[in-house]
Amino acid sequence: MYKWRKLKDRIFFAVILILSIIAITPVIHLIVVTLANGLSVIIRAGPSFFTSIPPAPTSKDVGGIAPSLVGSLMLTALALPITIVIALFSSIMVNEFPRNPLSIAVDVVAKSLASIPTIAVSMVVYLLVVVPMGTFSTLAGVVALTIVSLPYAYTYFSTYLRSIPETYREAAYSIAMSRWKTVTRVFLPIIRRGVLVTVLMTMARILGETAALLFTVGRYRIGVSTSILGPTDALPLLIFDYILTPYRNFQEIAWGAAALLLIAYLIIFIATKLAVRGVKL
Amino acid sequence: MKASRKDMLFFLTLTPFSISLLAILVIAILILISRSFEAFNAFGLSLFTSSIWDPEHSRYGLLAPIVGSITTSILATVTALVFSVPLAILLAEYVHDLVRDILSSIVELMSGVPTIIYAMWASMYLAPILKTYVMDPLSIYLSFIPIFSCKPITAFTIFTAGISIGISITPYVTAMIFESYESIPTTYREACLGIGATRYETVKVLLSLAKPAVIASIILGFARALGETTIAVTTIGNSMYLGSCIFSPGYTVSALIASQFGNAYLYRYAESVLYSSALVVLVVAIILSFIGLSLMSRWRRRVVV
Repeated sequence: MYKWRKLKDRIFFAVILILSIIAITPVIHLIVVTLANGLSVIIRAGPSFFTSIPPAPTSKDVGGIAPSLVGSLMLTALALPITIVIALFSSIMVNEFPRNPLSIAVDVVAKSLASIPTIAVSMVVYLLVVVPMGTFSTLAGVVALTIVSLPYAYTYFSTYLRSIPETYREAAYSIAMSRWKTVTRVFLPIIRRGVLVTVLMTMARILGETAALLFTVGRYRIGVSTSILGPTDALPLLIFDYILTPYRNFQEIAWGAAALLLIAYLIIFIATKLAVRGVKL
Repeated sequence: MKASRKDMLFFLTLTPFSISLLAILVIAILILISRSFEAFNAFGLSLFTSSIWDPEHSRYGLLAPIVGSITTSILATVTALVFSVPLAILLAEYVHDLVRDILSSIVELMSGVPTIIYAMWASMYLAPILKTYVMDPLSIYLSFIPIFSCKPITAFTIFTAGISIGISITPYVTAMIFESYESIPTTYREACLGIGATRYETVKVLLSLAKPAVIASIILGFARALGETTIAVTTIGNSMYLGSCIFSPGYTVSALIASQFGNAYLYRYAESVLYSSALVVLVVAIILSFIGLSLMSRWRRRVVV
């Protein structure tokens, strides 16, 4: 009897181990092939991969991703601060005044925003920003990216804020600190690494978002655009368009862009790991 | 504590930020509703019970993409579950210290990889593998089962999309199951070990305790799969197909929007039809995630405390 139970235990462990290995194989394979395919394209194209525009479909040269790269950087640089500010202040409010109807509504809405399909966000922003302006624009992309990443940043912030023990609040109040001072002088310093992690993860999210950009930024690839009110492009959008084409050089560009995106994500990820290291409360 | 004037001021300075957050969702839903009216008026219920995409003659029916969305999401959730339960158990029970740190970092890493990279990988590598080693054999040997009854012509099918989305939501589901499993009080584990249970038996007991949380994770994973766009549109093959076989190309609602919205302004009703389909997905996703979240928090209150 005991032998049989022992055997069942072993079999169970084997099954768990095998399924777990299968579960993490895709991501490892994905990283390896994306880097291998992408880096070989980038190396072959040389520095011009970052400075020139995408090639014509049938041309021999690899071309570059400059419009999408600049577009992605601009979109992130604009959307990230807006997202962080709104998310941080909203989460502070919900944490400080949890029973206020407005706070309850914010919490509920943030949770529902997290579950709406990003393509729906893209459609709404298309109606609200693109149609009135008469053109696709960086601005529309920024609005869409902000909406998509807001609930994400909000959830991070409120998790960190809630993890602060009540004793800190009591201590702060007992030395006559105001609520405002408690938040800025006590709470924010306590969660500063958490804030850093949130900023980094939100940045990764914004950099990689595709669906929200489909009907908002346009696909301006004939030159580098730095205009906020004019159309632009983004790396994920470029990849999305080019993997669906049959042209070989388009697919190569897509791999190069994907490798770049993945490297950016990996760097951000490692940075967050370094930021959390040694967080002790 | 009574709110002082200073507190009131603090509260007021925070309101603009939170109100803008609130406004986003309200405006989004209102806009979608107002834009959907045209399609609802023109087609009524037949919009959801027929399956046509014929912009030239202004005839539309969304049954195929809706069924496609449900099918792919079910496939995705099942895939995610098959991988995330073992992964969560492995993390919680069998590995410790450094190995655990590495493994949980990998899961975390997986959950943040941009979906466009998953989409690219799935369409270039996963799809051909699935066609050769899974779909072809199944369609030959098990063709008497309706869902396997057709021969996959290309690698891009409902099945491929389901598996690909499943892989991409696996880390999300894993994290939820792992967290709930870890939050079960140690007394239960001690009780199991106290009566001499093997590890397998302990896991069985603890997992049965965590069952409501696992169900909540399934619902939340399903909601996420429903909204997934990028992977769906690159792997599903994009065709208006309605039938029982999962080895044929199809559509999900998000894939339909992604591939048709760009030209929709050219045709009467097309835009409105797409807005109404987005509204349906949005409402369903919100409802599901609320059910999931409330199940989760109710379980937490009952078991953890």
